[in-house]
Amino acid sequence: MKRQVLQRAIERFWEIAGGVSVRTKILGIVLGGTLLFGMTTVLQVRYALHQVLVARTQDWGIAIASDLAARSTDLVLINDLLGLYRLLKDAVDHNPEIRYLFVLSPQGEVLAHTFGTGPEFPAGLIEANTLPPGASYHLQPLRTPEGIIWDIAVPIFRGRAGVLRLGLRDTAVRAAVNTVTTWLLLTTIAVSALSIGIALILTHLIVRPIRGLVAMTERVARRDFTARATVWANDEIGALAQAFNNMVEELGQQERMRAFYLQRIIEAQEEERRRIARELHDETGQALASLRVGLRNLEQTTAPEALRSRLEDLYQLVDETLRRVRRLAFELRPSVLDDLGLVAALERYIRDYRERFGIEVEMQVVGLDERRIPPTIETAVYRIVQEALTNAAKHAKCQRISVLLQASPRLLSVIVEDDGCGFDVEYVLRDGRENRLGLYGMRERAQLVGGTLTIESAPGRGTTVYLRVPLEGV
Amino acid sequence: MIRVLIADDHAVFRAGLRMLLGAQPDIEVVGEAGDGWQTLKQAERIRPDVILLDLTMPGMPGLQTLALLRRQVPDAKILILTMHEDEAYLRQALAEGAAGYIIKRATDEELVTAIRAVARGEIYIHPAMTRALLEDLIPAPKLPEAHEPWESLSEREQQVLRLVAVGHTNQEIADRLGLSVKTVETYRARGMEKLGLRTRAQLVRYMIQKGLLKEE
Repeated sequence: MKRQVLQRAIERFWEIAGGVSVRTKILGIVLGGTLLFGMTTVLQVRYALHQVLVARTQDWGIAIASDLAARSTDLVLINDLLGLYRLLKDAVDHNPEIRYLFVLSPQGEVLAHTFGTGPEFPAGLIEANTLPPGASYHLQPLRTPEGIIWDIAVPIFRGRAGVLRLGLRDTAVRAAVNTVTTWLLLTTIAVSALSIGIALILTHLIVRPIRGLVAMTERVARRDFTARATVWANDEIGALAQAFNNMVEELGQQERMRAFYLQRIIEAQEEERRRIARELHDETGQALASLRVGLRNLEQTTAPEALRSRLEDLYQLVDETLRRVRRLAFELRPSVLDDLGLVAALERYIRDYRERFGIEVEMQVVGLDERRIPPTIETAVYRIVQEALTNAAKHAKCQRISVLLQASPRLLSVIVEDDGCGFDVEYVLRDGRENRLGLYGMRERAQLVGGTLTIESAPGRGTTVYLRVPLEGV
Repeated sequence: MIRVLIADDHAVFRAGLRMLLGAQPDIEVVGEAGDGWQTLKQAERIRPDVILLDLTMPGMPGLQTLALLRRQVPDAKILILTMHEDEAYLRQALAEGAAGYIIKRATDEELVTAIRAVARGEIYIHPAMTRALLEDLIPAPKLPEAHEPWESLSEREQQVLRLVAVGHTNQEIADRLGLSVKTVETYRARGMEKLGLRTRAQLVRYMIQKGLLKEE
């Protein structure tokens, strides 16, 4: 229950905090900080100042009271009440903080006071403060309609001539504290205004590059790879902009490569079709046409000897055509791959290859008997091995090739390794050479079935092509 | 009289065969079929002595048709007549119980001979295909005799060769053992030399034979 409430509160907070712009957030932080600091300072200063001033004022009041008590001792002893009155009146007139003064005889009668003539002497005031015997003074705060008044009682002639009482106002203290508070508040407001100004500038500095990045990202999303973010500063956002630029550069590069290779692949495909069309037309078509002529000839042949010889020619022609068509079909797509699987197709291909190029090829298969893998993977592996072997025959000048297929439940690993002249992989991949297309095609095929292709080679050290295809979830 | 059912999806080819076989005194063509299902139905109805079966017909895969025929009409001898000259097809067909295997470019005499042979209960395999089977009889190329036993290899050489055999790249082996690629290649070459092996495929075969290849 409690947790739910907390959850709700956090969600609400994020709703608000997430709903406002970065500018507002920064302004909120700055303004909140400044105001919090200002208000705390004001309260703290107010309290401390009040304490100090009150103590000071009370000390001053006690000093005045003691002084007046000393000066009034003689007046009390000779019973000069008028003189006493003048002394008190004088002190009250010159010090606005003093609310009242009066002198009590040892018997507790008022000898002189500053409340003026008549019965205005406040009732209960005499009893409000009593001086403990032997004390040099006693202070008693009184709550009155005029505010707090500190009543100070001081003995006259160690109490033998009575007690002097002084009423001290706190108006001066309050005025001073209020003045300081006002100033502090004004300062806080001024500082807040200034901070908002600075925060606005800083926010602009932060938000501007971010807006730039957003605009750039949108352009990149529309496949405009010329977009670049301005790097305004050498800070984190600057680093982000730089990283973005590098990424877009890389993406653009890849896009150009892809377009280039796509173009080349389409061309190659078209070239292949042209070759097949030519072969069908020039070879097969031609052969069938010859066959037709030959058959027509047979009609007119009557001599048994000639008939036999012509038939023999026709059989040969048919066999030759059949062989070519079968070879063409096999090159296009070996049906054995579909019917009997990868290993059978590769064995067949390698047997042809051995005869065609005179290169010793050994194939070793581990953990793949009886097991069919998905057709897309079989096709990819077949084509990649084919490409690797073709490359070896064309470029490697090798004598021996080893083809290794290892299947675990999760991974199919195919390694084609030759003992040929090798090549500088980096160099060939970087500088568009002819056979780069083949390497790129192998890699693309591998990636299409979720696999990876690694080529290890160096001049004079042979070439190894590693293909790894995950079989998981298949 | 040998009663023959012809199963092939090309009508012209069937007609040619019918003519050829009809001319033989001891052979009679008793039916024709253009796909797998038809072949099954005809075979059950006619009960022929020999079925000439094409492996690539529309619909059911040829090998499946073969398997079903073996079950439905076990007495009929099935002679595969196909374009495929792959040993893999031959092996599969024999495994499924075909009595013979002949390719379409065989001569008329060869075909007639084949039909007669399977009808007699013999196995006929066209001469162009026998090489593949003979290769099976010749034992697999023996591994070159190892100059030195596995145990004589240094620990590093054994380590490297094990990783090579399970298919790691030289770079990966170098990273794993904390060596340079060059050093890995040297260990590998030296180890292979000692064992008298020349290729990775040979190494894998050697290790399987010696029981050294354990799943990681």
